[in-house]
Amino acid sequence: MTFPDYFLLSIFYFWASSTALSLGIGYYTIYRPIMAGMIAGLILKDVQKGMLAGAVVNIIYIDFVSTGGSFKGDQCLTALIAAIASIAFNLHPLEAAAAAFPFGFLGILIWKYRLKINNIFVHIYEKKYTENKAPDISVYDGLLPQLLLLLMSSLVIITAVLLMFLLNNLINFNNIGVLYYIGIILVVISAFNILHKINNKYNFIIFASIFLAAMLFDIRAYILFILITLILIFKTDKNISFVKNKFTGKIKKIDLVYSWFIWMNYSHSCYSYERLMGLAFAHSMKNIFKKLYNNKYEISEAIHNHTEFFNTEPNMGTPILGYIISLEEERKIKNQSFENISYIKKGMMGISAGLGDSFTQVILAPLFVSMAVMLCLDKSYYLAFIPVILLAVLILYISYKGFMNGYFKGKEFMLQRIKDVKQSKLKIYFPYMFSGILGLSMSRLLFNNIRPLENIFTLLIIIFASVFTYMRKKGEL
Amino acid sequence: MNNIFVRIDDRLLHGQVVVSWIPYLKVNEVVIADDEYANDEFMRSLIESSGPEGVKVGVKTIDETAAFLMDDNERKILLLLRSIEGINELAKKTKISSINIGGVGAAKGRKRYYNSIHLSDNELNMLKDMAKDNIYVEVRILPKDKAIVIKGN
Repeated sequence: MTFPDYFLLSIFYFWASSTALSLGIGYYTIYRPIMAGMIAGLILKDVQKGMLAGAVVNIIYIDFVSTGGSFKGDQCLTALIAAIASIAFNLHPLEAAAAAFPFGFLGILIWKYRLKINNIFVHIYEKKYTENKAPDISVYDGLLPQLLLLLMSSLVIITAVLLMFLLNNLINFNNIGVLYYIGIILVVISAFNILHKINNKYNFIIFASIFLAAMLFDIRAYILFILITLILIFKTDKNISFVKNKFTGKIKKIDLVYSWFIWMNYSHSCYSYERLMGLAFAHSMKNIFKKLYNNKYEISEAIHNHTEFFNTEPNMGTPILGYIISLEEERKIKNQSFENISYIKKGMMGISAGLGDSFTQVILAPLFVSMAVMLCLDKSYYLAFIPVILLAVLILYISYKGFMNGYFKGKEFMLQRIKDVKQSKLKIYFPYMFSGILGLSMSRLLFNNIRPLENIFTLLIIIFASVFTYMRKKGEL
Repeated sequence: MNNIFVRIDDRLLHGQVVVSWIPYLKVNEVVIADDEYANDEFMRSLIESSGPEGVKVGVKTIDETAAFLMDDNERKILLLLRSIEGINELAKKTKISSINIGGVGAAKGRKRYYNSIHLSDNELNMLKDMAKDNIYVEVRILPKDKAIVIKGN
C-alpha cells in the first residue's frame, strides 16, 4: 500500500462514517459494507475482490440497526479492512471477513469518542452565545466536528491497516485455514439470527427451499431480483401526493429546499451525547431565520432556541422540520413564546424515530442492501448497483416529501405518515422476500466459491453453527 | 408488579424502545404516563397511533395510570414516563418495584450522568430516595447494555 492509498482510504472512511456531506443517503449507500468494499477495491485496483469481501461482511452485519447512536460494531471499517486483506494477501472473502471482524470494534471507539468530544463544540457554542457574540451555527455544527472526524478516521484507518499488516507478518493469514471456517460460522450465525428475528413462520422454509433450489437448479440471482422488483412495483402503495404552495409568507419553496438540504447533510454532523441532533436542527433553521428576522441578535436567539436536545430518525422525521418552520412563521407574526414549539418538537421526535427506525433501518435497508449482496455473490457485479440506487432514491423521496408536506399540510401529515408506514405492503411482504434473498446469497457464498473437497467439512460446520444458534435462541425463550 | 417494566425516557416511544426493548420484553401493551400529553388531544392520538404492529399504546395521566396499575392484571406492560418527577409522583400513588432510566436529555441544571443520561442533583436524590424504598433503579440504555444500579444511601 502506498501513501496515496492510505490518503484516499482515510478520506473515504471519513466521508462514509460521517454520514454528513452525502445528503443523508451516505449511511444507506457508501457506509454499507458492499459499497465500502467496492471503493476499497477501486483504490487498490481489484474491484471484484473488494466487493466480494464487502458482501460477506454485509451478511455478518445484515441485522445492523443504529438507534440513538448505539450499535454493535463498525461495518464500514470492517469491510474496508476485509477488502484490503483480501486483495493484499490474496485471501478468500470469507477468510478476509473473519480476519477483519475484530477491527469493527475499533470503529465503535470513533463513535463513542465522537459523541463525547462533540460536547466540547456544544459548550464553546453555548459560551459564545451567552457572551452575546452571535456565534455562527454552521461552524459548530458543520466545520469543526467534521474536521475532527476527518482526523479521527484517518488515524483509525492507518492504525487498523498497519495492525493488520503486522498481524499478517506474525501469523501468516494464508497459512491458517481456520480463518475460512470462522468466516463460515460468523455468516451462518448472522443469517440464523436475522431469520429468527424476523419472526415469521415461513421464513426458514423459504430460506431453505431457495438455498437448495439455487444449489440444485442453478437459479441465477438476477431472476429473483427481477421478480422482487416486480412485486415491489405492483404491490407498494401509490399515494404520491404533490404539495401546493398555499402560503405566501417570507419563506419561499427554495428556502425550504435549502433548509432540507442542510438537514440531510448535517443531521449527524455534531452528534453529541448532550444534544444528539440538536445543533443540526438549529443549523437547518439558519437560513429560515435569516429570512424571518433582520437583527443579527434576533436571528442568533431564534437559532439558539433550536439547539436544545433533539433526536429522531432523520428521513422519516422531516415532517417535524417542515411543520416547525410553519410554526416559527406563525410565532413571528403572533409574537408567541417558544415553549409551545419545543413541546411539539419533543412529542413528535420520539414517534417518528420509533416509526422511522423500524422502517428505514429494519426493512428498507436490509431488503435493498441484501439484494445487492445477492447479485454480487452471484457475480452480477454491475447489476448490484441498481438496488443501492433504488434505496437511495427511496430514502430521499421519503425525506423530501415529508419535509414539504410537514410545512404545507402541518401536523395532520404526521398522522397520515404513521398510517402510511403501518399499512405499507412492503412491511407485509418483507419477511418472504428477504428470506429468499438470503437463501440464494448463502447458497452462492457457501457452495459456489470454494474447492469441492471442502464441501463436506463446510456442511458439517454449517450444521454445527445452525444447531448451536438454534439451541441458543431456544434457551432465550 | 413484576409484569410492569418502568422506563424513563424523554423521547418516549422512539427507536431504542420500538426496535430493541419491545421485542426484548415481549410486551404487547405500552402505557405512557404523562399529564401534558394525555390532556392534549392531538398529541395523544398521534402517540396512540404510533405503536408498532400488534402493540397497544395508551396515553394516561399519572392519576389514571396509578388507578390502572391498582387493578390487578397479569398482562405484561411497558410503562413509559418522560421525567424523574413523573415516576416520583407515581411511586407515591402506587407500588413500583423497578425503574429503568433510558434517556434523559441535557437541560439547565442537569449534569451528564452517563452517556445520554443527564440528571440534576434534585433528580438524582429522588432516585436515591426511591432506591432506599426498595425500588430497583438502573441506568440501562439498551437491553444488552450493562446496568448501572443507583443505590440509596
